[in-house]
Amino acid sequence: MDKLNELMQRRAVVEQGGGERRIQRQHSAGKKTARERIDYLFDADSFIEIDAFVTHRCTAFGMENTEAPGEGVVTGYGTIDGRLVYVAAQDFTVIGGSLGEMHAAKICKVMDLAVKMGAPFVSINDSGGARIQEGVDSLQGYGDIFYRNSLASGVIPQISVIMGPCAGGAVYSPALTDFILMTKYANMFITGPQVVQSVTGEEVTADTLGGSSVHASKSGVAHFVGDSDEETLDMVRILVGFIPSNNLETTPVYITEDSPVRTDEILREIIPESPNRPYDMRDIMRTVVDDNNFFEVHKDFAANMITGFGRLNGRSVGIVGNQPKVMAGCLDINASDKASRFIRFCDSFNIPLVTFTDTPGYLPGVDQEHNGVIRHGAKLLYAYSEANVPKLTVITRKAYGGAYIAMCSRHLGADMVYALPNAEIAVMGPEGAANIIFRNEIRDADDPMQKRQEKIDEYRNQFANPYVAAGRGFVDDVIDPALIRPTLINALEMCITKREGRPAKKHGNIPL
Amino acid sequence: MKTYKIHVNGVAYEVQVEEVGGEAAAPVARPPVQVSAPAAPQVAAKPAPAPQAAPAPQAAPAPQAAPSGQGEVVNAPIPGTILDIKVQPGTTVNSGDLLLILEAMKMENEITAPKAGTIKGVFVTKGQSVNSGDALVEIE
Repeated sequence: MDKLNELMQRRAVVEQGGGERRIQRQHSAGKKTARERIDYLFDADSFIEIDAFVTHRCTAFGMENTEAPGEGVVTGYGTIDGRLVYVAAQDFTVIGGSLGEMHAAKICKVMDLAVKMGAPFVSINDSGGARIQEGVDSLQGYGDIFYRNSLASGVIPQISVIMGPCAGGAVYSPALTDFILMTKYANMFITGPQVVQSVTGEEVTADTLGGSSVHASKSGVAHFVGDSDEETLDMVRILVGFIPSNNLETTPVYITEDSPVRTDEILREIIPESPNRPYDMRDIMRTVVDDNNFFEVHKDFAANMITGFGRLNGRSVGIVGNQPKVMAGCLDINASDKASRFIRFCDSFNIPLVTFTDTPGYLPGVDQEHNGVIRHGAKLLYAYSEANVPKLTVITRKAYGGAYIAMCSRHLGADMVYALPNAEIAVMGPEGAANIIFRNEIRDADDPMQKRQEKIDEYRNQFANPYVAAGRGFVDDVIDPALIRPTLINALEMCITKREGRPAKKHGNIPL
Repeated sequence: MKTYKIHVNGVAYEVQVEEVGGEAAAPVARPPVQVSAPAAPQVAAKPAPAPQAAPAPQAAPAPQAAPSGQGEVVNAPIPGTILDIKVQPGTTVNSGDLLLILEAMKMENEITAPKAGTIKGVFVTKGQSVNSGDALVEIE
């Protein structure tokens, strides 16, 4: 019995983490502890811990006398909606959640298990950074994690949740994963405010440098931000529900009451008559998906492009679309980056793609050109072309020039392309085109202004419609907006057995 | 080398400005003049000082032409033309309220308030062309 008591005692010590006082400090800051976060994330009582008794072996700088119950990280596995998921949650109450050799070894072990078993890996970050006392051993720890993140990319979904400080090298494991969620109070930066100030003289706070709103809107580092620990972890559960467990599985199917043949007359009203008036493309997306449940990814970053998940007759799809309400729905550097990465995630994990197109073209500007819109815009072409999941496209209004091609046109391998009756698919807008094609006629006319308007109208009637493209078979059908949902569901079912090979290669060379 | 006389808060400074050709002429973000040392009449800034780096406060443009820096400034997200302005200084707005309409890429882009507050300044007029990043409205 003594041995059993010892076991129970040892386990109790580990489960206490950094002790009552530090746990209380965590709570008073509005944060949960690592174990509470895991319990909240997983289905009730499903969490199984491993490596609880791992200890560090550092003897430098008094570390030989420092107890670190659980090594500052809780690892194991559990279920989300009954599906296996691996987790590593850093425990800020144990030496600040700092990452040393054995702390990293625990994380690497669950990552290896996740890859072998083909299950998602969730990493909850709340750490002061490297455990300095361990020197180069802690660097080895980070490196081992980065290496595994990279090799696991495209094999299992990797989700990082930032629920505290995340600075220096610690940011790169999340950066390598598929999705980053931050709680409102969390920070991420390579070099902190003090270093920034001492080097460049810029005075910044942690929040203005690397707060959650900065990363959600400006840098695009964070895909989701939650107001609290609970809300953030809820989003992880929702996200996991949309994605398969590994690259060999298909998406989980959630039974829905929403009829696959539901039609929506409201869709005839959302898009304004005038091509110059904006509307919110998300209204169309929400109306079309099951139970109006559209889960937007990267909501505040590059809002001229929309990315997110939804379901069509129970099956997940990745949804990409232009947002006419923001910057006219132009493609630019950030929009291209945002959509490309999302498309590649979906393709890695067999999630069909649905694209809604309404874009006047690429954003003109010196700033865009100098910052490499050529290089970044190319990613979108590459990502769509490379993807061999079912690809469905709906052109809701404008589809002009290069941007038409880029938004999953037939030419980049779309399986089905639909257009609404008011769609304008052409090489450029009527005004621009008339000025070029009829330059001489307009110049020589008695009334150039009137002639110009005549020619604009002529061009619009002749080319700014969906029927020229449909006449070539680039658009498979022109449909009533009310029928978008049943049409997409039908096409998706039709494409579900899609097999499209690619030549064997090590990997392509996407323009980065 | 050119010598300029600049008045800052009533104190006259002689500033020598040297033009440097090529890339090096890019303005360097540095405090333009050592205001705290009025005894030093000559400030020969070493690395490529920008001629406009020391604006005389007296020559400040008409009010409303620049944000005060106290409120949140709404910038043009895209180059275009101001089609309509829905607010004026003093208007109270809620987050998401329509501030103005910016026509760009043949689209009437609605510029909305990023936060609730009072309009402190409107820096554009109807029909004016703006560049991406130009200040449009300040909300406090």
